[in-house]
Amino acid sequence: MFLGTQRDSGPSTAQERIEAISQRLACPTCDGESVYESRSPGSQAIRQEITRQVADGVLTDGQIVRIIDDSYAADLKLIPSATGFDALIWVLPVAAFVAAVGGLIIVFRRWRHEGSLLATQEDQILVTQARQDRD
Amino acid sequence: MLAVSINAALGRGAILLGLLTCLSGVAVTIAGIRRHDLRALKSSVRYAYVAFFAALLAFVMMERALITRDFSMKYVQQVGSRDTPAIFNVTALWSALEGSILLWLLVLTAFVAAVARKFRGRAGDELLAWAMVVMFIVGLFFFFLSFGPANPFTMGPLGVSDGPGPNPLLQNHILVLFHPPILYIGYVGFTVPFAFAMAALITGRVGEGWLLETRRWTLYAWGFLTVGIILGSWWSYEVLGWSGVWAWDPVENASFLPWLTGTAYLHSVLVQERRGMLRVWNLSLVIATFSLTILGTFLTRSGVINSVHAFSEGSVGPWLLGFFAAIVIVAIILIGRRGDELRSPGAIDSPISREGAFLANNVVFSAFAFVVLLGTVFPLIVEAVDNRRLVVGQPFFNRMTMPLGLTLLFLMAVAPVLPWRKASQEVLRDRLFWPAWCGVLSLAVAVFVGADGWASLTAFAMGGFASGAALRQIVLASRRQGWRGVVGRANGGMVVHIGVIIIAVAFTASNSYTRTQEFVMNEGETVTFSGHSFTFEGLSLESDDVKTSVKAAVRIDGDQVYSPSRSKYVKQGMDIGTPSVKSGFVNDLYLTLEGTVRPDDTQARIKIFVKPLIMWLWIGGALMAIGTVLAAFPGKRRRPTAPVSAGLEESVQEVADHV
Repeated sequence: MFLGTQRDSGPSTAQERIEAISQRLACPTCDGESVYESRSPGSQAIRQEITRQVADGVLTDGQIVRIIDDSYAADLKLIPSATGFDALIWVLPVAAFVAAVGGLIIVFRRWRHEGSLLATQEDQILVTQARQDRD
Repeated sequence: MLAVSINAALGRGAILLGLLTCLSGVAVTIAGIRRHDLRALKSSVRYAYVAFFAALLAFVMMERALITRDFSMKYVQQVGSRDTPAIFNVTALWSALEGSILLWLLVLTAFVAAVARKFRGRAGDELLAWAMVVMFIVGLFFFFLSFGPANPFTMGPLGVSDGPGPNPLLQNHILVLFHPPILYIGYVGFTVPFAFAMAALITGRVGEGWLLETRRWTLYAWGFLTVGIILGSWWSYEVLGWSGVWAWDPVENASFLPWLTGTAYLHSVLVQERRGMLRVWNLSLVIATFSLTILGTFLTRSGVINSVHAFSEGSVGPWLLGFFAAIVIVAIILIGRRGDELRSPGAIDSPISREGAFLANNVVFSAFAFVVLLGTVFPLIVEAVDNRRLVVGQPFFNRMTMPLGLTLLFLMAVAPVLPWRKASQEVLRDRLFWPAWCGVLSLAVAVFVGADGWASLTAFAMGGFASGAALRQIVLASRRQGWRGVVGRANGGMVVHIGVIIIAVAFTASNSYTRTQEFVMNEGETVTFSGHSFTFEGLSLESDDVKTSVKAAVRIDGDQVYSPSRSKYVKQGMDIGTPSVKSGFVNDLYLTLEGTVRPDDTQARIKIFVKPLIMWLWIGGALMAIGTVLAAFPGKRRRPTAPVSAGLEESVQEVADHV
């Protein structure tokens, strides 16, 4: 870990900004790859556009993503939006996790309640009988 | 030329033999169970052997066809080539849909035969007989796929004397020889615990018996799946040229999903063995793990999801989906029927206990699996509901899984020190003292050397905390038990934990602190980046029958020359970039040759990635594999009737007293 965290001083390069933006856009012509991963001509064209925008230094990363996404018919954003139907992909895991944790809390409460019940006389007779049988 | 080649005839015959054998195996074993006919039940072993022989013969015939270049067969026309190097001719078998089903069949029937052999002395046991029935049914399904919708032995058009060979990406690295078979052993291996779980539900023997029978089978399947996934990451890193190891691609996710549920099961099973609890949950996890292997195969073999790894569209999709649905429906019905018998007899006393931590671990693993599954199938849902294309990529998965990963690291730190039943504050304070200091020290070192980002810092702190807990366990166990301190489930498990922690830290570091720069370099020019010098010494041309490559010679730090290249595959017309990597314990220097290049160019675009700790991903993977093997060895045995709160030594002493 000591070795892994060492990095050279100085700001991130413009190249790293280009890489970060290209990770947020899907390759328009290939199967399930991002512009960052893909080596297709379509991705190379997008990478050049990102490079140009970064060199201009006017737009933020989010604005560059939006402009490039708007210029294609297909949805190229690799992060689904948090509105409309797409919001389900964000909401469902959180809802499922909350439900699971809630269920766990309920179960633990029930177990605690059951655990605190005292043994009845019938239970004690059963245990005594089992002990005698064992002996 | 024969109308039907000997390879195709024998292969097709073998598939038919396997199909009929599995069908007979199902019928004879069920009849044996009904009539309590021990002879019939014993014969299931022979059926298992014959099924294995049939799959092996089909596999060998296909390999023979590929190696001897039998271009009368359609599959060889599709993936074979006269120019493909011999080793990639062998691996071409699993480079497309039909062949990959053959590999599946070989591994599956090997498992069926191994189970039959292992338990051959207990043929009269109904649990075992039903497990064999379930495995024969799974075998029957895959033999059917290979006989019908994914028949690899079809004859092709006449007059074809050569083929394109496998996808260039699949003839570019030796790992293609190991990664798929190892992954399949893990993937298919989960059939065994699934079969026993279904058998337990059918027979009503839903206690701990089936768990104990399948403990090692599950562990080995999980171990192979782990190694398969790691090797896949390594292949991706060495071949694809984008410098990453994991892209959350649907095919990667398909292998990761059963790994997640399988890992949850390996933990929760301990609670059932120790406390007799979580019966429904464990059955559900095993069934989910196997179902996810079928669902993953459907997603990646049916053409419904686009992926760089996925095979072309075939007609197996509806069959796989139907099989998946059948498994889920039958499992739900069986669990419903056994409702009362599955009720757990006990209760968990406190959430701050070993079993409480395992429960939390299971919730997090399940949530993790849910996120990965949802992200993988969500584009399909959007297309069905909204009729538009959506790609869910790395940023979504990274964002959603990061908190779950950190929580798992925290649980890895806390769970090993927690006692069963209930932990007092004193015990916690005592046992967490050193691990907590390891966490604090890790964080301090990370901050001191300039690490930034709260997620990365948290990961390093949690990594230190969790490794402290794992090391504490190993040290204590070794003091008590000598060399046996690293074997057995608990201790071997801690070695696995250390492997996981190393991978988590390396993954965090490589994702967070990678430096990248692209240089346009003239021949003889030297650039300095991230403390290293890179001298471009020129381009060269290399060509063989398969490809023409332009290689760039880049000398790093005035020492060795590395050669990233771009290759044009003659038959496929594909242009593939191949990276060149200088590996080290601290950093990998990863070079790619970018853009269009000609060998007589005096200028080249070289992209340099400085990636920290990549080698530790492979070291962590190796430790996980070693830990799995150590966990499979029997450790000191606990007396089964010892109270759950009893320490190992008292329990072992108790056994000795009784002996």
